[in-house]
Amino acid sequence: MEDFEKELKEGFLQEAEQLLLDAEQCFLSLETLSSDPNGGDRSIIEKIFRLAHSLKGSARAVGFDDIGHFTHELESLLVKVKNGEIRIETSIVSLLLKCNDHLRTMVTTLKADMAARIDSSALISEIQDHMNGTAKAASAPAPEPCEEVPAASAFEPEPAPAGPTTFTSAGQGTVAELFRQATVSPLPLPASVAPPSATPAATPAKAGSAVEEGIRVSLKRLDVLMNNIGELVILQTVLNQHKDQIQSVLLQKTVGQLEKITKDIQGISMSLRMVPLKQTFQKLHRTLRDTSKALGKEITFETSGDETEMDKTVIDNLGDPLVHLIRNAADHGIEAAEERVRAGKPRDGQVKIRASHQGDRVIIEVIDDGKGVNPVIIKAKAIEKGILSRDAEISDRQAAELLFHPGFSTKSEVTDISGRGVGLDVVKTNIEKLQGEVQIESVPGQGTTFRILLPLTLAIIDGMVVTLGEERYVIPVAHIHESLQPTTDDIHHFTGVGEMLSLRGENLPLFRLSSVLNRKVKARTSTDCIAIVVRTGEKPFAILVDDIIGQQQVVIKRLGEELKDIRGFSGSSILGDGRAALILDINELVGRNMTRMSSSNATIGVA
Amino acid sequence: MSTNETKTTESLSGSTVQRFLSFSLGTEEYAVPLLRVKEVIALPDVTPVPYTPSHFLGIMNLRGQVTSVIDLRLKFRMKKVENSAETAVIIADLAPLSLGLVVDSINSVMAIRESDIADRPQIESSQSSEYIIGIAKRDKKLVLLLDLAKALSVEDHAALSKALAQPKAA
Repeated sequence: MEDFEKELKEGFLQEAEQLLLDAEQCFLSLETLSSDPNGGDRSIIEKIFRLAHSLKGSARAVGFDDIGHFTHELESLLVKVKNGEIRIETSIVSLLLKCNDHLRTMVTTLKADMAARIDSSALISEIQDHMNGTAKAASAPAPEPCEEVPAASAFEPEPAPAGPTTFTSAGQGTVAELFRQATVSPLPLPASVAPPSATPAATPAKAGSAVEEGIRVSLKRLDVLMNNIGELVILQTVLNQHKDQIQSVLLQKTVGQLEKITKDIQGISMSLRMVPLKQTFQKLHRTLRDTSKALGKEITFETSGDETEMDKTVIDNLGDPLVHLIRNAADHGIEAAEERVRAGKPRDGQVKIRASHQGDRVIIEVIDDGKGVNPVIIKAKAIEKGILSRDAEISDRQAAELLFHPGFSTKSEVTDISGRGVGLDVVKTNIEKLQGEVQIESVPGQGTTFRILLPLTLAIIDGMVVTLGEERYVIPVAHIHESLQPTTDDIHHFTGVGEMLSLRGENLPLFRLSSVLNRKVKARTSTDCIAIVVRTGEKPFAILVDDIIGQQQVVIKRLGEELKDIRGFSGSSILGDGRAALILDINELVGRNMTRMSSSNATIGVA
Repeated sequence: MSTNETKTTESLSGSTVQRFLSFSLGTEEYAVPLLRVKEVIALPDVTPVPYTPSHFLGIMNLRGQVTSVIDLRLKFRMKKVENSAETAVIIADLAPLSLGLVVDSINSVMAIRESDIADRPQIESSQSSEYIIGIAKRDKKLVLLLDLAKALSVEDHAALSKALAQPKAA
């Protein structure tokens, strides 16, 4: 294959992926449209039609005949939908989504091997069945069962003129260009459709203003750049710390200016990895649709703040927890329709997902208007499972938090949807891996809100530098609830149980960093140490460190391949004096030691 | 990475000249293929990493990259020698990772002809001698030529995982 041709095909495949994502979104909104008695906004159908059309045109132009052929069939179906010959209903949307999935598989397969052939005959015949079947059932003016043939041929002359023009422009690049081109030229549509003049013109104009000029850069190159900038920041910190040793005023000034520029560069480099949440949310829409269909529930989906940007690594790892929460909302949250009506709620359930910024954190909320969490049931369940002691008194809020406890699932039978033995604790673990936290808020009978708080980026965190003898370690500030210098009255030792820290009436298990890390350092007297209270784990605890040096932003460096199996360290960083330091995964480290505490310790029951 | 090493060994079977970096561990002399050496630096500050074997010295800052450091003397179960001004760290390129190796001193770059390399000794030993490329003679001393990838990665990974698999009992 010639390079030119290969490039062309690669370009097509990349653009096709985006087009298919857009298309999926359109299909999903098509469904909401179908429930609108007035037929709603016809422009969505127009848009789908254009997407399919440009996909077909450019697939043929670059020589992917399999895609071209399949899209052609799909287009015939869409023509019927557009002309109102086929009513938009759930079955048709499901079929369209299936086609979309199929196209995506095709694109993925072709990406791996450009010469691959994909058989679409099964789905094509399903499309044809649908066209014929529906035509009969709806008793639409369909003269013959083989109706798709004239429809197809009626369509054929149209792409022909588009063919040559698309080929030349495809030579310069993108399907998106084709898309614009295709939309500008009015399509020769059957007259039955709503005014074609207004809608096609409006859409590209909107799209045009939103699109910023950009180039594609591989993530690998970006990572190299980020690494170098990370190094720059470290060197800058070293420079700053030794600034006062510089005699020359000019040099001192230069260091100051350099610092400013370094900060700017760092800021920009961070934004390079930021991508909007939009695609993640789109996928969730699909998840919810499939889930609610499987459960036989009617659920509407609403998103807001999908333009909120986050670090790509965070977003990549956010998908699974969100899918889990969405499924959870559909399965456990939203009630069956009859139950909802009885409770005086609208028949259709509602699931909302909302993203927003708050300081240097992003908040993502998954909100359902279902039955909410009943603290009484949860408490009973927790006692039954032995998570909670019988006489423990906990607030409703604490009861809701119990949902995150490993092995907790209130629904007795295991369902296909969300009761797969993994519970919300997995969501919690995943989010905590991203240095974030999950909260739950629920009003019985009115619904539940899961709130995920995440840092904007994972590349830099706020770290607390602590010492242990001569050694220094970094604890992420996000994990530190408070720190204090204990008095002798605060620390109690019990043989067989270990040490306890009394803190405002609460008894926290107390650990020593030296023993947790298995380091031999000269033990300081406890009252000379600093106790750090951590509440982000399964159970709260306190840990004794020798001293706290201070809080600083640290650039996270991954540990090498040879240390990848080591647990308890989330990475390393280079401190201001140029020395490497380990970033502690404090919950993991202490968790190993937790087992020595008796399981019935008082911490969970005490407010 | 082992394929690379094989190539090195294969090219040795021709009469080409190979370059090795020779170094001392105690009184013994070793050498590694020069192509595997990224650079040599003086012993920097090394931060220890808990739960690793004793020959794993820790991590260091190599111009902004965090790199692991292994004490080759302890690795070969030699007696611990006090660090001196001669003590150096060889930064070895064992793609995908780079590792720092602490040695007692760096001696020289040796160009060795294939004909001067003797086969590895056939010694009955519980330890595999896979990691030895061969033996070269220099002046009156023997130099052991090491295959770094084999000497370190294979066994080290095992040792590391083992150390980690049994987190310390409280």
